[in-house]
Amino acid sequence: MSAPPTPEWMERYRERVNADPEMQVIGDWFSLDFKLAFEGEAWLLSVREGRIVQIVQNPRFDRPARFTISAPMRVWTRFVRPDPEPLYHDFFAMLMRVPEFEIDGDSLAAMQNARALHRMMNILKTMEPLDGRS
Amino acid sequence: MADLEPVVGRYLNLESGGRRYRIYYEEAGEGRPLICLHTAGADGRQFRHVLNDPEITDRFRVLAFDLPFHGRSNPPDKWWLERYRLTTDVYLGLIRDFWRTLGVERPVVMGCSMGGAIVLKVAADHQDEITGIVGLESTAFAEGRDNDFLHHPAIHGGELAACYTYGLNGPDSPEAGCRENWWYYSQSGPGVYKGDVYYYCEDWDAREDIKRIDTDRCKVSLLTGEYDYSATPEMTREAAEAIPGCRFTVMKGIGHFPMVENYDLFRGYLLEELASMA
Repeated sequence: MSAPPTPEWMERYRERVNADPEMQVIGDWFSLDFKLAFEGEAWLLSVREGRIVQIVQNPRFDRPARFTISAPMRVWTRFVRPDPEPLYHDFFAMLMRVPEFEIDGDSLAAMQNARALHRMMNILKTMEPLDGRS
Repeated sequence: MADLEPVVGRYLNLESGGRRYRIYYEEAGEGRPLICLHTAGADGRQFRHVLNDPEITDRFRVLAFDLPFHGRSNPPDKWWLERYRLTTDVYLGLIRDFWRTLGVERPVVMGCSMGGAIVLKVAADHQDEITGIVGLESTAFAEGRDNDFLHHPAIHGGELAACYTYGLNGPDSPEAGCRENWWYYSQSGPGVYKGDVYYYCEDWDAREDIKRIDTDRCKVSLLTGEYDYSATPEMTREAAEAIPGCRFTVMKGIGHFPMVENYDLFRGYLLEELASMA
């Protein structure tokens, strides 16, 4: 049974991103707010110079996001795991081949920061699987 | 003693389609020629492990050239007056004129991705001039890789192309190999990857051509990585099923860049196919 991330899970994700040595090299220009939406459960990530400085669960309308990456839980659970199957093993793989995995909003801003964003998504993959045990 | 590799780089001036080109290639080994074709937006460095593999170079003269606009091969004259867009005809002509100008006879032609696609056309159109083809991540028809952000003034095209293709590696491939390929992709000129994708996703359709391939005259081996989401195993299988006598293998654990992302795993598959070319 899959479940959206808990606040503790998201906090561990923030710590992992902020401790990542590569993000410290490539993140200087990555400063914006974006959302990760797990089947309606949204998390706003406020990123400044490659560090997540704030996480907000289900933000209200006064916290705009430049873009939102969303998918149903059945897609996220296939991505966030140590042995992903083909087509679910990468952010760009899912953008091309998994129609339910979507990026909405200012996708230009997302692609301007493709390197740091891709790294953050690859760190997300290394988190505890979203199978209800997190 | 200096740690020199046996790989040598040369420049070849050739004419193709009425234009003059200065083409860079690397070679190593002796024996049957094995021409290697790099992927879109990259260059012949992707084949450095093949060029350095004595089990291959003992039997093959390995030749890896950079397409014009790629690596150390210059664009042709007046390049600044045209939008770079590779086409099937130009690509096929360059490969044929490379081996003819060098005086290479009966080569095996191996290519990956867009190179893995064009080798199908090489086999269809020149099957009496070559020994065979090894298609890596081959497909007779491909869609869906193009997007306008690949050449956009507000985006670093090298970084985007490198990230856009990074996920095509198998998730368990050694990080050093995947990162090496990232680096190559980050170095292509403005719009070059997009211009190659134009060929691959807009111009390329060999679904009828491959029906002409006679594997009694020209051997065909197709190898596709399990994790390739650009040219998926199913896409290669469709091509293989249209070519009677074709060998086709899905490479477990590998993605779209077998020769650079995970050579140690790939070489077992490759050696078997090269043996079949003897």
